[in-house]
Amino acid sequence: MQITCTINQKNYSFESEPQQRVLDILRDHGMLSVKEGCGEGECGACSIYLNGRLVNACLLLAPQMQDAEIVTLEGLQKETETIRRNFVEAGAVQCGFCTPGFVLRAHDYIRHNGSGNITDIKASLDGNVCRCTGYQKIAEAISKSIS
Amino acid sequence: MQLLSEHPDLLLMCGNTDVAVRLKKQKEIGGIIDISHLDEFCYIKREPETIRIGALTTISDILDDEKVQRYLPLLAAACGVFASRQIRNLATLGGNIANASPAADLSAVLLVLHATVTLGSVEGEKCVALEDLFCGYKCTKLDHEMILSINIPLQEHKWYYRKTGARERLNISKVSLAVAKYSGGYAVSGTSLNPYAVRFRHLEEVLNSGSVSDEKIEKALAEDISPSGSFRSTREYRMRVAFNMLKEAMAKLEA
Repeated sequence: MQITCTINQKNYSFESEPQQRVLDILRDHGMLSVKEGCGEGECGACSIYLNGRLVNACLLLAPQMQDAEIVTLEGLQKETETIRRNFVEAGAVQCGFCTPGFVLRAHDYIRHNGSGNITDIKASLDGNVCRCTGYQKIAEAISKSIS
Repeated sequence: MQLLSEHPDLLLMCGNTDVAVRLKKQKEIGGIIDISHLDEFCYIKREPETIRIGALTTISDILDDEKVQRYLPLLAAACGVFASRQIRNLATLGGNIANASPAADLSAVLLVLHATVTLGSVEGEKCVALEDLFCGYKCTKLDHEMILSINIPLQEHKWYYRKTGARERLNISKVSLAVAKYSGGYAVSGTSLNPYAVRFRHLEEVLNSGSVSDEKIEKALAEDISPSGSFRSTREYRMRVAFNMLKEAMAKLEA
C-alpha cells in the first residue's frame, strides 16, 4: 500500500506492506534513534511522537502512519539540547541504547509542565526501561532540565 | 460495518497495543480491519444521566478529562495506573473491553459502575449491559458488531480501587479489586480472579446483608472467584490478596 506522511516535518511517500511495523519503516528511512528493545510496548526504546503524542513505534503498523505527523529524536535536536547535555553531565547514559527514548519522554514530560520533583519524574518514566544505570541519574538529569 | 458483516472473523484494530503483541507471537492472525482513523468515535460526553465515552477514546484522554475526574474518579484512578504513558496514548477503552483479557483493568471498574455498551452493525445499533458481553477467556459475544460507545450512568457512590502486580508501574495485574457503594448497595468486581470479568454477586449479597463476618466474606469470595495459577501468580496468592483488599475496601467505605 502507498503511505503518505510527514517525518520530522518532511513529506514522505512510499510503498509498504500493511503489516510492517512503523519501527522498521522509520529505521529503514534512517531514523536510527528509534531502537527495538522488547518489541512489545514495554521498554520505550522505540518512542516517537505520532500526531503530537508519545507512543511506541513497535506497536504501530504502516496504515497507522497514513496522513500522520511523525517526529523522532532526529527532528528535535534543538529542542532537546539542554536535556541531552544534562543527561551527559549527570552520567545518565551508560550503554546509550535506551537514551533516545528517555530523552523523548523527558521532552514530553517537560512540555506538559511536569514537576521537578524526583518522585514525580520517576513515576513519569513508567514506559521506559534502562538496564544499565538505574533511574536516579536519569531523573536528576530531567529535574535539572526543568529548574 | 459492511466488511465486518461479510467477514465476522476479521479483527478490529485501533491502538494496536494488544494486537501487535499477538502478531509478534503468532505471526498470522487472519485479517485485520484498521479502525484507528475513525475520529468520530473519540469523545467523552456528559448527557443528562450518563457519561458516554466513544469506543476509540484513548486512556490518556479519559485520564485528562475533567468530567471523568469529577463524576467518575474510580475510572480516573484505574486509568492512572494503566500501563505506561506511551501505551495510554494509544490504547482505547473499547479495545480494553473487546480484547476481554481477565487482566483488563477497566472492565472490572466499568462493571461496578453499571456500564452499558452501545454496539453497531449493519443491522443498526443496540445497547447491552457490559456484563452480558463477556462469555469466556478472551471471548466476547461480539460477532459482526463493533463497540461504538461505553455508557456510564451518573449515580452517587463511594469507591475503592487497588491494583497489585509484580511492579509498581507498567503493571499487568496479579489482582485488582474495584468496589462501588451506592445508596442501594455494593457492586464488586476484580481482575485476574476469573476467566473473564464478572460481578461478585455472592459477596455483594453478604456486604448488603448488614451482618458481615470474615467467614461469610471468605465463603462468598470462594463462590465468586476462581483464580487460575498462572506464570504471573499463584491461585492461593490471588485468593488471599482479594480477601485483604476487600477488608481494606470495607474499612474505607464503611467509615
